[in-house]
Amino acid sequence: MTTEVTTPTSIEAADHVVRLRSIGVAFGGLRALDGIDLDVAPGERLAVLGPNGAGKTTLFNVIAGDIRPTTGSVVLCGRDCSHLPSHARPALGVARTYQKTRLFSNLTVEDNLYLAQTGRQRRHLALFVSERDRSLRERAREVAHRVWLGPMVDATVDGLSHGQRRQLEIGMALAAEPDIMLLDEPASGLSRGERERLSELIEALDPAITLLLIEHDMDVALRVADRVVVMADGIIIARGNPDEIRSNTLVHEVYLGREGGR
Amino acid sequence: MNRSWRDLVAVAVVAILVLLPLFGSAFFVEFVMTRTVILGLAASSIVFLSAYGGMVSLAQLLLFGIAGFMVGNAVGEAGSKGLKLGWNAWVAVVFALAVTVAVAALLGALSARTAGIYFLMLTLTYAVIGYYFFGQVTTFSGFGGITGIDAPPWFEGHPVRLYYVCVVLSVVTYVGLRLLVRSPFGMALQGVRDDPVRMASLGFNVALHRTLAFTFAGFIAGVAGVLNIWWNGQIDPTSISIGPTLDLLIIAVIGGIVHLEGAWLGAFVYVMANNYMRNLPFADTIGLTEARFNTVVGLLVLLIMLLSPDGLVGVILRIRTAATGLRGDGGSTSDDASDHQIATADGGPKGPPVPTHTREGSIR
Ligand SMILES: Nc1ncnc2c1ncn2[C@@H]1O[C@H](COP(=O)(O)OP(=O)(O)OP(=O)(O)O)[C@@H](O)[C@H]1O
Ligand SMILES: [Mg+2]
Repeated sequence: MTTEVTTPTSIEAADHVVRLRSIGVAFGGLRALDGIDLDVAPGERLAVLGPNGAGKTTLFNVIAGDIRPTTGSVVLCGRDCSHLPSHARPALGVARTYQKTRLFSNLTVEDNLYLAQTGRQRRHLALFVSERDRSLRERAREVAHRVWLGPMVDATVDGLSHGQRRQLEIGMALAAEPDIMLLDEPASGLSRGERERLSELIEALDPAITLLLIEHDMDVALRVADRVVVMADGIIIARGNPDEIRSNTLVHEVYLGREGGR
Repeated sequence: MNRSWRDLVAVAVVAILVLLPLFGSAFFVEFVMTRTVILGLAASSIVFLSAYGGMVSLAQLLLFGIAGFMVGNAVGEAGSKGLKLGWNAWVAVVFALAVTVAVAALLGALSARTAGIYFLMLTLTYAVIGYYFFGQVTTFSGFGGITGIDAPPWFEGHPVRLYYVCVVLSVVTYVGLRLLVRSPFGMALQGVRDDPVRMASLGFNVALHRTLAFTFAGFIAGVAGVLNIWWNGQIDPTSISIGPTLDLLIIAVIGGIVHLEGAWLGAFVYVMANNYMRNLPFADTIGLTEARFNTVVGLLVLLIMLLSPDGLVGVILRIRTAATGLRGDGGSTSDDASDHQIATADGGPKGPPVPTHTREGSIR
C-alpha cells in the first residue's frame, strides 16, 4: 500500500490519467493498432478521429479492457492495467459507451441505469433491496432525464427507438460517475437537434472528467475537444488542437477530404 | 393490477394444494401430486437459470441425483448398497446438500465462461459423466442403485406429511426466487443474461455471478433430490440418465421456461399425462398406450414450441390479455413486464406503466 503511494508512477499519474505505450493489437494478420503511444491529462477532452477501420474502437477496447493488447502497456491513473480484466477497471473510474449499443434489452431504462451504477458501488452481490438501492434508482431516474429519456424510464429497452437507445448508451456512462469517460460515436444515428443537445450535454460535463471521444461528426468533435488525435490504419497520423487539425493537409487527405465528400 | 392477478392465482393454487388431502384420493395426493411438486421444484432450478441467467442447464437432474445418492449413502445400513454410513436422517440431509452445493459450485465455475449452446453441451457432459460415475463407482452406488432408503421417522406412516413438506418448500422456493430476481444480485444476473460484455465493462464479475447462480440453482435441485429420495426410497443411475435429464427440461419447456410458475405447471401436466393418459376416452382406439407416452409428450412439446414458446403459462397469459382486451379495460401489460415495474416501484412514486412501450411476451 505504502509503495503504491510513493512509486514514481503515481506522481506521473498527476499529469496522465491514461498512458498508452507502444500498443499493438493484431487480429490474425490484421494490425488493427500498431505502436500507439498516447497520454491523456486529467480533465482533458480528447477527440479521436479517423476513417472507418482506423482502429479507434479497438483503441477504446484496449483502454477499457475489453481487448488485451498484443503488445504494449496500459497505465490508468498511475496503475499498470495491462493485465487487469475489464470488470476491474470501473473501480479506477473508467466508463465507456459502445458504438453498437450494448444494453440490457429485457430490462427497463431505469434498471439499465441502476445497473450502470451498482457495478462500481459493489452492491451486486446483495440479496436484499435496501435504502441504498432506492437512492441508486432515484439517481437512475435523474440520469434518464438528463439524457431526455424521462418519459421512458419504465419502458424496456426493446421498446426504445434507435435514437433513444443511443441516448441511453450515453446515460450508462454518465450514471457510472466516471473519472475517465470513453464515448464511442455517441452522436451517430441522432438527428441534428439531438446532436446539438448532445454537444451541450458533453460541454456541460464536470470539467474534472477526462473525456475521450470518437466522433465522425466534426462539428461535435471539434466543438467539444481541446485536443485531437487522428488515426488511420492503426497508427496516429496527426495530433494537435482543433485548429491545427482543421488546417492539417495530411488529415484532409486521409480523413476530412473523404468525409467532406459525403 | 397484473401483480395482484398473478398473486391471486398463486394464492388460489396454494390453497387448493393445501386442502387437496381433504378431498383427493390418497393415490392422487401421495403419489401424483407429491411427484408433481418434487419435479416442479427441480424444474424451477432450470427455469430460474434460463429465464434470469440465460443459462439452459442439463445438469440439474444430476445435482438432484447427487443429493439423492448422498442421502442414500449416508443413511443406508447393512444390506443396502453404497457407503452404508448409517447416519441420522437429518445429518444425512445436511451432508447431501453440502455435497450437492459444492459440486454445483465446482461445475458452475468450470462452465461460467461459456454461454449458449456451449453451456448446454457442457452441462450435458456433466450429466453423462455423473451417470457413469454412479454406475461404475460401486462404492457409492453401481448400476443397480441404492434401495430401501427410509425417510426420517417423522414421515413414517404419514405420507401426507411428505406431501405437505414438498408443498411448503415449493412455495418458499417460488416466493424466494421471485424476491431474489428483484434483489441487486438478481438484477445483475439479468444484466448478465442480456449482455455479459456490458456487465463486465460496468464492473461486474460475470463469471462469479454465473457461478453463484448455478450454485444456488444446484441447491434447489438438491432439496428436490432429497425430497425425491424420501418419497421414492430408492435411486439408481438410470434415473439420472439422459432420458430423464431431457424429461426435466421438457417439463420446464411445457410449463414455459421463462416463467417460474411454469416449472410446477409443466410438472403437473407431465405427471398427469404419465399417469392418466391411458384413461382418456378413446385412448385405446387412437393408440395412446403407455409405451407411447414419450411420443405423446414429444408431440406436446413440439406443439408448444410452435404455438407458444413461453409454454402453457404463456398460453394462459395470452388468454387473459385477450379477455381483458375484450372487456375493454386495457392496460394489459405482460406479466413479466409488470414484474419489472414491481422491481422499480421502490424507486419512488410514479404514474401508471406506459403500456405502448412495455415489453410484450417473454423474458428472453
Ligand atoms: N474482434 C475483431 N476481430 C477481427 N478484426 C477486428 C475486430 N475488431 C476490429 N477488427 C478490425 O480491426 C480494424 C479496426 O477496427 P475498429 O473497429 O477499431 O475501427 P474504427 O476506427 O472504430 O472504425 P469505425 O469508424 O468503422 O468504427 C478493422 O479493420 C476491423 O475490421
Ligand atoms: Mg469504431
